[in-house]
Amino acid sequence: MSTAGLLVAATLLLPLAMTALCVISAFRARALSLLVLAPIPALMAALWAPEGTLVFFPAPFRMTLTLDRPGALLLGGAALLWSAAGAFAAAYMAGKPRTAGFAIWWLLTLAGSLGTFVVADIASFYLVYGLVSLAAFGLIAHEQTARAQHAGTVYVVLALVGEACLLLAFVMLAAGSPEANPLIRDVVAKLPSSPMRDGIVALLILGFALKMGLVPLHVWLPLAHPAAPMPASAVLSGVVVKAGVIGLIRFLPFDSGLPGWGAVLMLVGIVTAYYGVIVGVTQLRAKTILAYSTVSQMGLLAVLLGISLGEGDPGGVNLVAYYGVHHTLVKGGLFLAVGIVAATGGARLRPVLLLTAILALSLGGLPLTSGALAKLATKPTLGYGALGMAMSVAAAGSTLLMLHFIATVAGDARGNAETVAPASEVVPWLVVALAALVVPWSLYPAVSGDPALSALQPDAIWKLVWPMALGGVAMLLLRRFRAVSGSIPEGDILVLAERCGPAVRRLGVGVEHLDAGLRRWPVAGLLLLCIAIALAGSLIAWR
Amino acid sequence: MSALANAPFYVTTSGGYLLVLAIILPAVAVLAMLLVPPRHVARIAFAVMAAGLAVALVIVAELVGTGMALAYVVGGWQPPLGLALRADGLSAAMLAMTAVVICATGLFARFHQCLEPETQDGRAATTFWPLLMAIWSALNAIFVGEDLFTLYVALELLTFAAVPLVCLDGRAETIAAALRYLMFALLGSLLYLLGAALLYGVFGALDIHSLSRLDGGAPAVTVALGLMIAGLLAKAALFPLHLWLPPAHAGAPAAASAVLSALVIKAPVFLILRLVLDVAPSSAGPLAGQIFIGQILIGQILAVLGASSILFCSVMAFRQQRLKLMIAYSTVAQIGYLFIVFPLAAGTETLPAWGTIAWTGGALQLVSHALAKAAMFMAAGAVAEAFGHDRISDLGGFGRILPISALAFGLAGLSLMGLPPSGGFIAKCLLLTAAVTGGHPWLAATILAGGLLAGGYVFRIVDRALATPAVELVARRPIPRRLEAVALVLALAAVGVGFVPLQPFGFLQLGRPAVSAMVAP
Repeated sequence: MSTAGLLVAATLLLPLAMTALCVISAFRARALSLLVLAPIPALMAALWAPEGTLVFFPAPFRMTLTLDRPGALLLGGAALLWSAAGAFAAAYMAGKPRTAGFAIWWLLTLAGSLGTFVVADIASFYLVYGLVSLAAFGLIAHEQTARAQHAGTVYVVLALVGEACLLLAFVMLAAGSPEANPLIRDVVAKLPSSPMRDGIVALLILGFALKMGLVPLHVWLPLAHPAAPMPASAVLSGVVVKAGVIGLIRFLPFDSGLPGWGAVLMLVGIVTAYYGVIVGVTQLRAKTILAYSTVSQMGLLAVLLGISLGEGDPGGVNLVAYYGVHHTLVKGGLFLAVGIVAATGGARLRPVLLLTAILALSLGGLPLTSGALAKLATKPTLGYGALGMAMSVAAAGSTLLMLHFIATVAGDARGNAETVAPASEVVPWLVVALAALVVPWSLYPAVSGDPALSALQPDAIWKLVWPMALGGVAMLLLRRFRAVSGSIPEGDILVLAERCGPAVRRLGVGVEHLDAGLRRWPVAGLLLLCIAIALAGSLIAWR
Repeated sequence: MSALANAPFYVTTSGGYLLVLAIILPAVAVLAMLLVPPRHVARIAFAVMAAGLAVALVIVAELVGTGMALAYVVGGWQPPLGLALRADGLSAAMLAMTAVVICATGLFARFHQCLEPETQDGRAATTFWPLLMAIWSALNAIFVGEDLFTLYVALELLTFAAVPLVCLDGRAETIAAALRYLMFALLGSLLYLLGAALLYGVFGALDIHSLSRLDGGAPAVTVALGLMIAGLLAKAALFPLHLWLPPAHAGAPAAASAVLSALVIKAPVFLILRLVLDVAPSSAGPLAGQIFIGQILIGQILAVLGASSILFCSVMAFRQQRLKLMIAYSTVAQIGYLFIVFPLAAGTETLPAWGTIAWTGGALQLVSHALAKAAMFMAAGAVAEAFGHDRISDLGGFGRILPISALAFGLAGLSLMGLPPSGGFIAKCLLLTAAVTGGHPWLAATILAGGLLAGGYVFRIVDRALATPAVELVARRPIPRRLEAVALVLALAAVGVGFVPLQPFGFLQLGRPAVSAMVAP
């Protein structure tokens, strides 16, 4: 196995090995401080392993890993955030109870999350996807408050539903393949000609949209992301949702295109992009606002994916990955910022808030930031017609939402005591923030095909500034309507779904009554006779 | 073919005596235990367990080595006059699984008994061992028996050894549960015996090979099969005949529950499989088309019952307030998967049933459920021992005190939910693939819904394990690590089954006719 292959394999193996080492109590006690190291092979693989690296694990481990362009982009961003958030967690969680358990869930989620970006065969993809989905529960429910419990329960129910959708989709995908565990790209190449094509694509979109948080499957996201401890929120909102993005990138047939399904994805994306903003501005808590912003941003990614799928443009997924990296770093940085701001007061608060504001407005496309580059890179794809306009207005919405976030964070910090966040928390945050501002510049020429300096042209800047100005104006208007704030509960339509709770409970009670009835002697005896007669009769009838 | 037809079907093969050993060893142990003083009983059990495990493994190795079924003709008398024993791939897998679970249960029971030194050689403790050995002997006889009467005797031995295990602690409620079990199992035996007698009366033969070559269209065969399968369903506790299982399996001591839920109810399922596959006429007869449909119809009735079992009892498991009752209902639900195999594994002219992926899926489900369920009951036993109760709502935070048990429960749960990496995942994935490719959308939906519901009830416990209760949970007594470790080893084994390849598994087809040419892709 080559060095590159070893790096790619270590992406998955190191975190798993660290989890296994947690059996040793001495290691377990120090696991928290080692979290920062777990994603290092992934980062190195993303930086140095050449595209197309393939790794086969020997039997009985049926696993194939590969590194392609979108995978490497997302892997690099994710590994960076995981590492920095791990360092942040070591400082943030130190001295709190149950850190060993937290570290184990963290490592498992990390392994699954990074695994989704490199796995190439269907069964292993399901494995790592299930790992990230279910292990994330441990992070969400970690604080054991009533809110965290509720969020964890909602999350697990939806995650299991998503798993079921994907399992069926994968089985249908692999059904026509001669191999038991085919490579993803092989089955996807045959997908457009499959007789079950529409069913498969629908299930895939359903399953992955659940993870991405596309409306109306986003309900778990505003509950789960804020419930977790600060560093866990950062990775949940920054990286874990990307498992859905890479899933769609890997499993939808971008080579041949599916115009109908592209339109569906695009429509869902537009609705999600606006919906996240509209509900987000009514929220009162900073982390919930960020979660809704993630919903909105994932909508944007869905639009990009929909366009590529509709046009059969396989290059489009690189843009999606690029936008994904930008969002990973910025959103991770913002969640960490909430933690930093909460621990900072006095004179230090101002620079912290300034950097937070720059990061936040980057999501709206603040010139010179990664958001500006991401928006400019996707502009040609979105076009300059109605869709381009709709997305520009969505950017205005993002600006509005982020202004609301800044106002909320600043308001929360007003009463802070004269303290300074510890350097062990500030440094990881600064690393993420710096990466969020710098990394996209270095990737821009390769992804967009334009030189980086083209992002500084006046017309490019104008394209970015007017939606931001619109967002600013909207913010001024919003301040007039104080009634909206807090008017929509976290998880919005989930509250409606939970109205069905009593009906479900009645059904459960009904099943219990039926069971009690069936388990009475006369009933069971009669049923036994009926079954005997039915079995014998069915054979005679067909003589 | 004609030369083959004249040659006797059963020929004692080189390792054939191993099958006799597998049955006789535990039976001899039972007799020996009656003769020695109580304190030596467990020692005999452990010696026999070691030997029995070795025998089972040698049988598997022999099958792998020769690539043929093992057979033994007792006294050299050919059936229908004499008796034959035969182990094909599936039987050998069952023998090995049984040996592993029995040995693990033996260890668990011993560690459990050692917790209370004053009663460790008492009545309940010493009664447990002969019963366990009798169950083992009966199970092995069922897996290798080749005629319906031997199988009947083995089934009865199984029932009569299993019933006292339920009421080993002598509490009134467990005695009631045991009686319920006994009565319903007797009804099942009665139906089975009626069917076997009918076949013997009409054809004068009871061995499965002779019966399989009969004119399957005869009404006697069909009525007999209907009666026998219904009787076995009662013993397997498939919904809606599960009235006896939850109280019996939940009331029994942990080690007994593990054996009952993991192994004892698998025996009737295995026999139904043999009846449907071997005695129910195959497509080889002159009336191929019609009879084939009859077989399919049985399969469909069984599948409907299996699917209802999965859905209904999973909901019931979710609604339970006590851990052991939850696991017991989960058993009824998981047994359902074994019955939806029948329509999915319906063979064709070119592909026999045992060459299909559903066949492998069903067998894997059988094995992985046995391992996972035994692990779960043992973990629940450790929990009940530590806290003195198994009320789920009062177990908040038990994972902190019993981390190994919680881990074992979680890993076993993976297998029940059908999540990778686990044997349950491979099993359900294969069944789902068979359902999708075979055009059984309802069965596919049932498999998925069953997985979701299983996720629900497993998650409930995992959530309790991780919870931080307002009042710190305190263990009544310390639980030794080795007691918990047994459950973990079984759970890990259930996970390990997940590493078999995702395709028809060659070993399970050994000893089945004309298969090698057909499974080649």
